[in-house]
Amino acid sequence: MSFFGFETKLPRDRDGSGSKGFFETSDPFADIARAHALEDDDVIDFEDTYDGLGDQLPDDQDEFNDDTFGAGGADTSVGRDFDFFGKTAQVSDVIGEEQVRYSLQNPNSARVAPQPAAPAVQPAASKTKRSGYEKYSDPGYIPDLQAKSSVWGVSQKKPEPVAAAPAASTASRKMMSLEEVEAQMRQQGHNTSTPAAEAFMRSMVDSQYPQPQHLQTLPDGFPPVPPEFLHAQIKQGHLPPGMPHPPPGMPELYGGPGPMPPGVPLHMMQNANLPPQSMPPAGPRHVGPPQAQRPQQPQLPHLPQQQQVPLPNRTSANGIPVITNPQQLRDLTEEQRNAYLVEDAKRAKRNHKIFLLSRGNGLMTPQDKNFITRIQLQQLVAAAGNVADSDPEAVLAEDFYYQVYSQIRGAPRQHPPPTPGPLRPDLSVSDGQQARADNHMQRMQQQVQRAVEAAKAKPKNKQLIIEGSLGKISFSNAKAPKPMLNIKRPDSSEGPKPKKQSDLSLSDRKSILTNLEGVYSSLMAMEDMERTMPPPPEEGDAEAIQVHMEWRQKLHSLNQKLWRSLKVMEPIVPNSTTPHPFIAFLSYPKGKKAIPRIFRHIDQEQRVTILTMIVVHLDSLDVVRLAQPVPGEAQPSLGVREAIDLFSLAVMPCLLGYVNEAPFNIIIGLLGLVINQTHVQTVARTKVGLGILTMLLSRAEIVKEAGQASEHDWQQWVQKFNILFDTLELGLNDIFPGTISSGDDMYVWQFLAAVGIGASPEQQQRLVIAVKDRVMETVSYSKTLPADMGSQRLSNVNLFMRAIGLDVELLG
Amino acid sequence: MADNEDTGGPSVSEPLDLVRLSLDEMVFVKLRGDRELKGRLHAYDSHCNLVLGDVEETIYVVEEDDNEEETVRTIKKQEEMLFVRGDSVVLISPQA
Amino acid sequence: MLFFSFFKTLTNQTVTIELKNDIRIRGILKSVDQYLNIKLDDIEVLELAKYPHLSSVKNMFIRGSVVRYVMLPRSEVDVGLLEDATRREAANQAGKAR
Repeated sequence: MSFFGFETKLPRDRDGSGSKGFFETSDPFADIARAHALEDDDVIDFEDTYDGLGDQLPDDQDEFNDDTFGAGGADTSVGRDFDFFGKTAQVSDVIGEEQVRYSLQNPNSARVAPQPAAPAVQPAASKTKRSGYEKYSDPGYIPDLQAKSSVWGVSQKKPEPVAAAPAASTASRKMMSLEEVEAQMRQQGHNTSTPAAEAFMRSMVDSQYPQPQHLQTLPDGFPPVPPEFLHAQIKQGHLPPGMPHPPPGMPELYGGPGPMPPGVPLHMMQNANLPPQSMPPAGPRHVGPPQAQRPQQPQLPHLPQQQQVPLPNRTSANGIPVITNPQQLRDLTEEQRNAYLVEDAKRAKRNHKIFLLSRGNGLMTPQDKNFITRIQLQQLVAAAGNVADSDPEAVLAEDFYYQVYSQIRGAPRQHPPPTPGPLRPDLSVSDGQQARADNHMQRMQQQVQRAVEAAKAKPKNKQLIIEGSLGKISFSNAKAPKPMLNIKRPDSSEGPKPKKQSDLSLSDRKSILTNLEGVYSSLMAMEDMERTMPPPPEEGDAEAIQVHMEWRQKLHSLNQKLWRSLKVMEPIVPNSTTPHPFIAFLSYPKGKKAIPRIFRHIDQEQRVTILTMIVVHLDSLDVVRLAQPVPGEAQPSLGVREAIDLFSLAVMPCLLGYVNEAPFNIIIGLLGLVINQTHVQTVARTKVGLGILTMLLSRAEIVKEAGQASEHDWQQWVQKFNILFDTLELGLNDIFPGTISSGDDMYVWQFLAAVGIGASPEQQQRLVIAVKDRVMETVSYSKTLPADMGSQRLSNVNLFMRAIGLDVELLG
Repeated sequence: MADNEDTGGPSVSEPLDLVRLSLDEMVFVKLRGDRELKGRLHAYDSHCNLVLGDVEETIYVVEEDDNEEETVRTIKKQEEMLFVRGDSVVLISPQA
Repeated sequence: MLFFSFFKTLTNQTVTIELKNDIRIRGILKSVDQYLNIKLDDIEVLELAKYPHLSSVKNMFIRGSVVRYVMLPRSEVDVGLLEDATRREAANQAGKAR
């Protein structure tokens, strides 16, 4: 019993309903009522509420039900004919050919054909029996989307208009079978059996000429004489007069406007090996619907046979005469005959192939095929790789982040990177941040160390080493009481310089940010240019040289644009309340981040200009100005620390990279600028300021050790160094960040080491005196730390100690 | 690049050009449903889809207490990196 | 296409999606399309007690328009590159508008 009380038996299982049409059940709901009655009497009885509408249904039209639904099942052979789109379709064209040929051979019988008075039986029958595929007979319905081998780039053997054919043939297919049905009905008792028809066809050919052996191997049902030969024959006016007349059954068949001999189509269908493509589309192929026949067939009888040329496109592609009649073979030269036979063999082979391929024929409706064709075309376009997007630049524009990210991080990607070579070797700031920061510190360390080693090679003051005892050092300390020093600081009256952060007016801010974005635009344009760099021109290749020159020209103009938006060359207004545009630029994180990218695209002169600009404004840089230690706070605020870190890892390496190669006179000049233009003690109390000073000092030492400094330059340098030393000496203890436990003071030791190397023996002594406490504290503090951290702190100190010829070991 | 005219910077001609200036800067974003975000702007597009870093989200919830007085409670949440669907965005403002 | 491009780099990462109806779902981002529709695998609904009807759901397709936030793993985002990509997108848009 079903859930809703419906009768669960299928109709076919029900008694007595086997052959009934749908509406023949007088009361279709009676079963439900019965079910209810069995189950529950309390609920509303269906019979009580049923208004009996179902009984009023007109049942008098039901005679056709069997025709429509095939429930009668009387004639199985007819049942097969309803396979409209299957096998019938495959033979309709061949039948058409046969008919044409027949009508040509039998003008008399053909003349009967054109009678527009189509059989009276037909229209009615074809109207009542709707197959559901009628709309396909409208040639406009199916777009010209038939899959052709040409779509796949395979050259088609037969250039016949295949595409047009299916539309037309689909139109005829359905009707064909109807006609067959009609013909079969009318020709009861007149049956030409299938084997007989075939035998006739064979004998027809064989009697004319011994059939070449390979023709015999054709699949059954393939017309022994390919229809296209027939057409060509017609065209050439070679129709042999002696074509035997078909057996008695045939004339009526072809004489009639449509009906087919029952035998032939059935036979064809049973051997349905011929997919539509294999059927030569011929002009008068519309054997099916009388309407379609009319325009074609009337011509045939009236035209003289020699002039029957309604069929273009019939000459074979390779110039071999087309044979439609065995007789013709005899007239051919040996060469032509061979060629013909070869062609014929090919055709046979192809037909066999088609036969193998055609087993699935009829499984799909034209619409299905259409659908699949669309999918295939889409896939083709997709597989061809987005013809529009094949330009790597276009892909990059649309999918920049993904493409570059994949390249940087090696993420799995479906497609190889569109552009060769690294897109942006310097790009991944966040990724390589830590590594680069470490790298920067290491380089600084190495530079200082090199300077230290070089200095150690020729110690200036052996005495200090000997005197490097605690007693001696503590003696020095008493000589320099710290409190005094702080009071005497010349700048203490000047007041604190920071707290100018919000000085920027809103419009300044906007204009600076606009500059910044302008810089980025230029940078990206230059990076794009770099990627599209033409290959280096070869000697004498004027065109390539020209291309290269243009490229350089463009790059240069971009460089100028970049330079302008950087505002480095804006005049320096002394004592201005608003910072220089470039310095303001650097106060933004994205300004700092831009520096490495900018440095890649500018020349040395521009680099030194930027370096100079930074040095001149050292004390107004945000990372210096805002990083001044505030009493009571161990370290600057989080935001400032982030800014300092960013500056250290983005800007400093660039500057260091330049300084390491800078000529000595530039170093001297820069040190002079620091002394003259900036507040040195402010600068020295910050990590960035000390970093830059360390850079300059260690570079000078290395130049000197390498013997590259002239005596004159060196004198200049020493003079500047002395000024610096004197200025700094009094505040040396303030350059340490926070208390000893607050961590990172490595950069301070680096600076002290750099100072120590360049210092005279007398200066070294003063240096030791100034920082002696800190040295002692650090040494003792390091002992309380875990081993690795402790040794790190010790080695920092030792860098300085060695610079002045001492060693922490000596401190016991 | 778009700004081919040699002005040395992108001209601020469209509303979103203003947002571009705030790239990699702290911004304030007001959203539908009484929500606000503060964070560093890392990405945006023409639909106002955003990616923000170091975000603080503030949600304002109106509650009625026992005396039927309405009080506004705020909920704050932190996210390290957040994609914001543009159709929720009401306004984007630079956060100086 | 910026955010489509962006999310493609985050496939197979664990993200948390907050929908406009406040449901928060954590899962592995399996795929994304140009509408920013999202397919999540191995999902886990936060505050599951409030949404018990989701307790047996293991993966889901989320229509892009119902998303409020997607919380992302910072380590998987290249911020500098993303900003550059944003600038390019902006320039492309401006270029198209002209």
